[in-house]
Amino acid sequence: MAPPAASQRYPSPSQPSGKSEVSDLKTQLRQLAGSRAPGVDDSKRDLYKKVISYMTIGIDVSSVFGEMVMCSATSDIVLKKMCYLYVGNYAKGNPDLSLLTINFLQRDCKDEDPMIRGLALRSLCSLRVPNLVEYLVGPLGSGLKDNNSYVRTIAVTGVLKLYHISPSTCIDADFPPTLKSLMLHDSDAQVVANCLSALQEIWSIEASHSEEACREKESLLSKPVIYYFLNRIKDFNEWAQCLILELAVKYVPSDSNDIFDIMNLLEDRLQHANGAVVLATVKVFLQLTLSMTDVHQQVYERIKSPLLTLVSSGSPEQSYAILSHLHLLVVRAPFIFATDYKHFYCQYNEPSYVKKLKLEMLTAVANESNTYEIVTELCEYAANVDIAIARESIRAVGKIALQQYDVNAIVDRLLQFLEMEKDYVTAETLVLVKDLLRKYPQWSHDCISVVGGISSKNIQEPKGKAALIWMLGEYAQDMSDAPYILENLIENWEEEHSAEVRLHLLTAAMKCFFKRAPETQKALGTALAAGVADFHQDVHDRALFYYRVLQYDVHVAERVVSPPKQAVSVFADTQSSEIKDRIFDEFNSLSVIYQKPSYMFTDKEHRGPFEFSDELGNISITPEASSDIVPAQQYEANDKDLLLGIDEKDDNKGLSSNNGSAYSAPSLENSSNITSQMQELAISGPATSATTPQSSFGFDDLLGLGLSTAPAPTPSPPLLKLNPRAALDPGAFQQKWRQLPLSLTQECSVNPQGIAALTVPQSLIRHMQSHSIHCIASGGQSPNFKFFFFAQKESEPSNYLAECIINTSSAKAQIKVKADEQSTSQAFTTVFETALSKFGMP
Amino acid sequence: METPRIDIWYGIAEIMDFGYPQNLSPEILKLYITQEGVRSPFSSKPKDKPVPNATLQVTGAVGWRREGLAYKKNEVFLDIVESVNLLMSSKGNVLRCDVTGKVLMKCFLSGMPDLKLGLNDKIGLEKESEMKSRPAKSGKTIELDDVTFHQCVNLTRFNSEKTVSFVPPDGEFELMKYRITEGVNLPFRVLPTIKELGRTRMEVNVKVKSVFGAKMFALGVVVKIPVPKQTAKTNFQVTTGRAKYNPSIDCLVWKIRKFPGQTESTLSAEIELISTMGEKKSWTRPPIQMEFQVPMFTASGLRVRFLKVWEKSGYNTVEWVRYITKAGSYEIRC
Repeated sequence: MAPPAASQRYPSPSQPSGKSEVSDLKTQLRQLAGSRAPGVDDSKRDLYKKVISYMTIGIDVSSVFGEMVMCSATSDIVLKKMCYLYVGNYAKGNPDLSLLTINFLQRDCKDEDPMIRGLALRSLCSLRVPNLVEYLVGPLGSGLKDNNSYVRTIAVTGVLKLYHISPSTCIDADFPPTLKSLMLHDSDAQVVANCLSALQEIWSIEASHSEEACREKESLLSKPVIYYFLNRIKDFNEWAQCLILELAVKYVPSDSNDIFDIMNLLEDRLQHANGAVVLATVKVFLQLTLSMTDVHQQVYERIKSPLLTLVSSGSPEQSYAILSHLHLLVVRAPFIFATDYKHFYCQYNEPSYVKKLKLEMLTAVANESNTYEIVTELCEYAANVDIAIARESIRAVGKIALQQYDVNAIVDRLLQFLEMEKDYVTAETLVLVKDLLRKYPQWSHDCISVVGGISSKNIQEPKGKAALIWMLGEYAQDMSDAPYILENLIENWEEEHSAEVRLHLLTAAMKCFFKRAPETQKALGTALAAGVADFHQDVHDRALFYYRVLQYDVHVAERVVSPPKQAVSVFADTQSSEIKDRIFDEFNSLSVIYQKPSYMFTDKEHRGPFEFSDELGNISITPEASSDIVPAQQYEANDKDLLLGIDEKDDNKGLSSNNGSAYSAPSLENSSNITSQMQELAISGPATSATTPQSSFGFDDLLGLGLSTAPAPTPSPPLLKLNPRAALDPGAFQQKWRQLPLSLTQECSVNPQGIAALTVPQSLIRHMQSHSIHCIASGGQSPNFKFFFFAQKESEPSNYLAECIINTSSAKAQIKVKADEQSTSQAFTTVFETALSKFGMP
Repeated sequence: METPRIDIWYGIAEIMDFGYPQNLSPEILKLYITQEGVRSPFSSKPKDKPVPNATLQVTGAVGWRREGLAYKKNEVFLDIVESVNLLMSSKGNVLRCDVTGKVLMKCFLSGMPDLKLGLNDKIGLEKESEMKSRPAKSGKTIELDDVTFHQCVNLTRFNSEKTVSFVPPDGEFELMKYRITEGVNLPFRVLPTIKELGRTRMEVNVKVKSVFGAKMFALGVVVKIPVPKQTAKTNFQVTTGRAKYNPSIDCLVWKIRKFPGQTESTLSAEIELISTMGEKKSWTRPPIQMEFQVPMFTASGLRVRFLKVWEKSGYNTVEWVRYITKAGSYEIRC
């Protein structure tokens, strides 16, 4: 609503200017206030309507507050509605006056008409005046017990409103337990749904400082509660169904029967007309079966057709959202849509954003059986009027070529594109041909003959031009006129605006020179001269470098610039698999549409406590171990630098000074990220440190046993004894992990029994604890699990920290160790490996 | 100006409370909005008959239907609306073809009726014959790829007995949606031939054949034949309907109001182009597009076998069933 002041500043001629009308209203209202004459309600209505319409166009009518309240003694529901509206709007700004309304609102809360009771209760809770909260408790309490469900639904939301105004009042009045019993026993679905939303919100916030709330919050995920909701899911409206399904995603099933029970209960939801319900159900199915590979595959089969229906029926926006989800699924399981590729053929009139996704889908589902059809179809799009789509489809053809074995036909197609003689088609195709040649050098003869026929004058786009020049340099010996084409290009150096092209030109001239020196020498000289004089720093530097290295020794120069090349086997994926997993965890949310995990596009403060609750479901560890709050954040901290590739990650943290300047920025960002994590960790800290040491009592002797059988390492450092009761709080761990340099990285294999036992990651944590190595954080999903361990020397407070990544599919474990005392880290690693190797053994 | 504003305000308040969606069923929201609107501003005495209590409706077991409805004549209208999507290659191969169908209902029924709908879909029929232990009747059965239902349909019953049973909302609603990819009957065949005669002339010949029953007919047939941007002059003959060159969409638009089944008509056109220098072959033939409606025809072959209405007062109902097939995206490359 427009602020009241606005219209006073700009009084428009057609609207009442304000003051005099308002005072008129005031007198009129005052006259009516006491009157009991027949028909008085009608005149009041007219006046109220005026007041409200003034209010909505932005005139400040708060001055008639008192009169409005005086006139509110009426049984007319329309009058009441208008009065509530007025009061709700002005109460916050006039806390003193709002005291006047309490009385009549409280009276209305006892009205015999449930509609009025509900409306009054809602208005009462919407006053948002902190010092009036004491008046809310009574009406809310009776509202929750009201025999009419409408009033109860409003009362439940009222409790939540009260909580946000004054948490202590809400808790002191014992409302959360009341809501809980209402949630589990009320006959009305909407009441139940509101209870659930209210409790989730209240307990998530409370959980940060109350153990009990934490337990209560977890109890929402207990088996009886979940089944109670799932059995009743049909009674709820679509929104509430989604709410329940979201809850079910976080549930950790006890065994496979449990999983099948839930899936049977929910199967009919896949036939629901509402896309949100279908997607939420799909998410439940996918998450439940993550650990059961073959069932998981069946789930893909089952969800396929409902999702395809959603794509083809409905608005382009809906198609887009569903396609984004399909794309995520198809990347994880390409075979599922292999026979349904025709669903992703583009229609001529579709918006380009849908077409683009469909092209990505076609690329993703392509395999040996359908490549021919898909590529034929893509070639049709290459002639599309929409240039962006034409480009995308050419790129798609290229991507398919790069992932398939049967490249022959595709290469022919690509070469046909070159014959279309359209600028953008040629440019895109050249880039692709270049990439193809890097992967399949054996095709060079076919390609080169066609590429050689292309006149470089026809290519305007830098990328295409650069690709052509690269090929000229690389295959100079096969293209008879390569030196002369290059010479031409070099002569027009000044007209070449793209630095990228000029850089490629330099390199190509060099390569050409090594192969056909006499023909190229002059051109190379011109190029180097022009390059050294170039205003672009990189071009200048490269030219100078080439010049000097040539001066030094031509053979060395050849080794540097044009060494024999290995074919590229796999082009780097732009997104790490860990990020993809994160997106998969956030299925049915914007993350999938944006193709990045939520932390990349939400502000820290908006993630807040809800982040915790989301994580609980993802990490399949039983809820009683409160330490599993940590891994979620650990992950988050790591994800950022995953973009740099897994190998650099830890070096980056520990030895960032050794890295080139290019890496320093992310590493800084990373550390700031961790610091912000620390604050959150501090919250979960006490709970974590309380649980870890407890369970390790009485394992002292086991430790001795474990060590005695350990093969002594060759340099045989003194046998390491670890403190079974070691304690380290997560904050300190984080800090140490960041500060200490990496002392050891080791890879070892895990025995098959261990891998089998790892379906419950908790078991490894217990196992390691029995060797006095304590877990501080764990997470991940099959096949990658990640654990952070720590241990302490028995005699002195010297710490060992270890990160252990276990890949269950390759049965390998990667261990990174950091230690306070560098000298003993080898000994610790030995202990660690020995302990790990015994995992899963009876 | 005034009351609607307040009603909208309260309507929104009922839909969403404190950011949590509450009630989105238009039927029930209507009760809130109309409750006072109906009431005459001049009668201040309380009403003798209370309005149906909205607060009870909000959350009853049948959230989408209010109680106490009464009609003089009980009628059900059922429309099966299908749209055919086709993508045909220039060589006449079907690249992609599917049907998305909707079953739309309009109910004017008193009380709380229970409805049961039987279709000739394969799974349903098999289930039925299995339950009655007699062989399924011969006749065409349809395999539905996927079905989704309105909230009112009892999905448990659908999964166990494969019958669509439901208590319908009052008025209009979409009962179910389905999708079929196998065994689609295309209502029209389009055979285009386009010849480019040199740089400035083109010859276009399009033959459209209707392949549905001779007694049926299609309405509102529109064939859009794309021509190059630089079209200067068009000259055409059609056997039926009217054709026009529409330069704003670069198409020849050929309209046929009524197109009987098992017939064919042709358009032949000569197109003159403005000769452009330099640019050659810049025209990338977009597909021919088609619009139509064929009443009493379903491209999937789906039929309603029965529609039973059961209400405890045992009144008689009149059921109306209609079929219509429309063009979704019906594209033929040329």
